[in-house]
Amino acid sequence: MADLEFRDVHKSFGAVRALGGVSFAVREGETHACVGENGAGKSTLLKIVAGILRADRGEILWRGAPLRVGSPHDALAVTDRVGRLDEPAMRSRAAALLDELHVPVSADRRMEHLSPAHVQLVQVARALAFDCRVLVLDEPTTSLTDAEATQLFGVLAALKARGVTILFVSHRLPEVFRLCDRITVLRDGHHIATFDREAATVDQVVRAMVGREPPGHVPRERPAGDARPALSVRDLVRRPRVNGVSFDVAAGEIVGVFGLVGSGRTELVETIFGLARPDAGSVDVHGHRLAPGAPASAIRSGVALVPEDRQRQGLFFNLSLGDNLALPGAALVSHRLIRRREERDGAASQIAALSIKAPGLQVTPDRLSGGNQQKVVVGKWLGIAPRVLLLDEPTKGVDIGAKYEIHNIIRREASRGMACLVASSDLPEVLALADRILVVRDGRLRGELSAVEADEERVMRLAAAPAEGPA
Amino acid sequence: MRRFWHTRELSTVAILALEAIVFTWYLWPEGGRAHPFLNGPNGLLILKYSSIYGIAAIGAAIVIISGGIDLAPGAVIALTSVVTGHLFVKSGWPLAPSVAAGLLTGAAAGLVSSWLIVRVGLPPFIATLGVMGIARGVAFIITEARYYDLSRTIPPGSRLLGVPVDWVAPVVMIAAACVFQFLMKRFQWGRAVFAIGGNETAAVFTGIAVGRVKTSVYVVAGLLASVSGIVLAVAQGQGKADLATGYELDIIASAVVGGASLAGGRGSVVGAVLGALIFGVLRNALPQIPGATFYDRLIVGLVVIVIVVLDQVLVRHER
Ligand SMILES: Nc1ncnc2c1ncn2[C@@H]1O[C@H](COP(=O)(O)OP(=O)(O)OP(=O)(O)O)[C@@H](O)[C@H]1O
Ligand SMILES: [Mg+2]
Repeated sequence: MADLEFRDVHKSFGAVRALGGVSFAVREGETHACVGENGAGKSTLLKIVAGILRADRGEILWRGAPLRVGSPHDALAVTDRVGRLDEPAMRSRAAALLDELHVPVSADRRMEHLSPAHVQLVQVARALAFDCRVLVLDEPTTSLTDAEATQLFGVLAALKARGVTILFVSHRLPEVFRLCDRITVLRDGHHIATFDREAATVDQVVRAMVGREPPGHVPRERPAGDARPALSVRDLVRRPRVNGVSFDVAAGEIVGVFGLVGSGRTELVETIFGLARPDAGSVDVHGHRLAPGAPASAIRSGVALVPEDRQRQGLFFNLSLGDNLALPGAALVSHRLIRRREERDGAASQIAALSIKAPGLQVTPDRLSGGNQQKVVVGKWLGIAPRVLLLDEPTKGVDIGAKYEIHNIIRREASRGMACLVASSDLPEVLALADRILVVRDGRLRGELSAVEADEERVMRLAAAPAEGPA
Repeated sequence: MRRFWHTRELSTVAILALEAIVFTWYLWPEGGRAHPFLNGPNGLLILKYSSIYGIAAIGAAIVIISGGIDLAPGAVIALTSVVTGHLFVKSGWPLAPSVAAGLLTGAAAGLVSSWLIVRVGLPPFIATLGVMGIARGVAFIITEARYYDLSRTIPPGSRLLGVPVDWVAPVVMIAAACVFQFLMKRFQWGRAVFAIGGNETAAVFTGIAVGRVKTSVYVVAGLLASVSGIVLAVAQGQGKADLATGYELDIIASAVVGGASLAGGRGSVVGAVLGALIFGVLRNALPQIPGATFYDRLIVGLVVIVIVVLDQVLVRHER
């Protein structure tokens, strides 16, 4: 029985065809994954289901009749009601709801005080408040740690038990296989295949996604010589999240920083880059002391930061792709006039190197799919050829192929002598990439593991250990 | 049509042209009499009075693009006329240093606004509201309800650097528009202004000196407002404290009609000047229509709304 059926759905944005006739069916009550490379059309499909976009052609049937979604505003009105919680009846209903789904959030908390992970859980819980039958989720776990993702899956399971049909987009195949009954693969706006979870293997799905063999890893070569540290952090304090951190990164070394949400890893890299003025401590790059609290000075010393939140911290949606890619370089050059040709060449080479899928240099980044936006943020910093590259969640929302590409780029640049510090909540990524892993908890280093001795269990034990007195 | 609207300056030119055609047709005289609207001296008059708004609107557009707002230009215009008038008439300074001091006053007002915004962390609306009050207040304190007679400073028919004196204001406006259009579009500084208005957090993360750029933006806006102040003082022949009352809103409206988005990150210097001309034509032509005198503020208000709504409908449609 097909209960949410896509029939020949087409959608184009100007000359860009996002969906070129997609047909498949989702059964009522199942959890259905939709996977594919960046720009495959997943988000577009979900936005059409949610009524944010309108299909050019084709239709979506719900229980055999054309799906009529209200405008997204319908959903917003409900949000408002559940979110405000000033009436007692409202509060008890919300509390019951959160309780039923095991969401560890008090109904009295204001949304602005919640962590992003909890905001997400509340948003999902809201689905129940207006008794929704179909829930679509676009990459809900990208910024969650495993523990938080597990919480989310618990909530989704509770929803499923109540008969809610779930359509789920993710780039993390392990969770897709854990959670979903069936898996649909999209590529270049076309439906490629739908697998039953029991009958499919990860390899099969990946091959369907990329349409070729997945790219392999660039082997790691550590450049010889020069043992002096490229980045040297000493007793760095930025209260309350960074409480005295010291470490070195050698030229050509990739060091991973792992910590749970709230452990202070983001604050650590941001303080190193000068976005926050440290309360104490110092940062040296190739023996040169960075001015505290001055990102421009860090950039001039060859430091770059790929930030955690590309929408808020990385991209300018009012500027062209070319300008976005060129802006960090502006801090380095002395000429005040923009040199269009130089910038265009630089931008074009970043687009080629990262295989960014974009209709041109003139478009604004909102025209790009999520993964391609992330590549733009990486590209804009690689463009200045940094000597020390700080990355915070560098492959958030990036598909497997592109993730390998970004990893390979990091490895390649490291082989050429760049020092890399990768902060991530994606433990497999840290394990795959780093030569050495620093584990942070409560703003302090709780341990250091070399690539050979590190495994998920040991890292997690350090990251999550209860505080038994100061370390 | 959409592409046309997208090149925002072009659509503003089109509105201006449409407006001129409508008034030319509507005010067409009977018999062989001279056209009251479409004639050389009237055109010059429109240009001259529009440039008072237009020069300041260039600064307003830049501030708005940077994601801020400046409520001070009306008061800065008055203060500049008073400072220049006081030094020239009362203290007997030569003209050039008096004008220079007036311009410095405007730049200083911008510096105070930017200090309040960048260092103290006040929202631009509040900071410039305060500076507006201060500038107006200082002007009243200096003049003590008098005014400075500047009508004999520049004899009519004289030339300034070879430019007939009536043409000085339009020429300054056009020159300033060209210079700042170039700065905004071709210079790192202009791109930084757009970047800050588009996403200030990302600008900080990208290493742009946000504080310094914002400071320069408000200083430029103050300076341009004081240029308007000099022009207005000369045109009216006096420097006084209640000059240009309420002009700040017309100046902001010019920038907005010319394509500046109050959300920041979008707008055009040339558009702001064209916006000032659109209002200049309205202000000139409406009083010539019998019976329209009482309607002109209403019509100006409607024009702002219609143009901005049209803009939003067409641009939002893209998404
Ligand atoms: N508003 C838009 N304007 C123009 N093109 C768009 C727009 N939104 C999406 N696209 C294009 O449509 C295609 C599909 O985008 P979509 O966001 O659906 O991809 P996706 O599968 O969600 O990718 P990702 O995994 O990176 O999030 C991409 O090529 C993208 O550039
Ligand atoms: Mg997407």
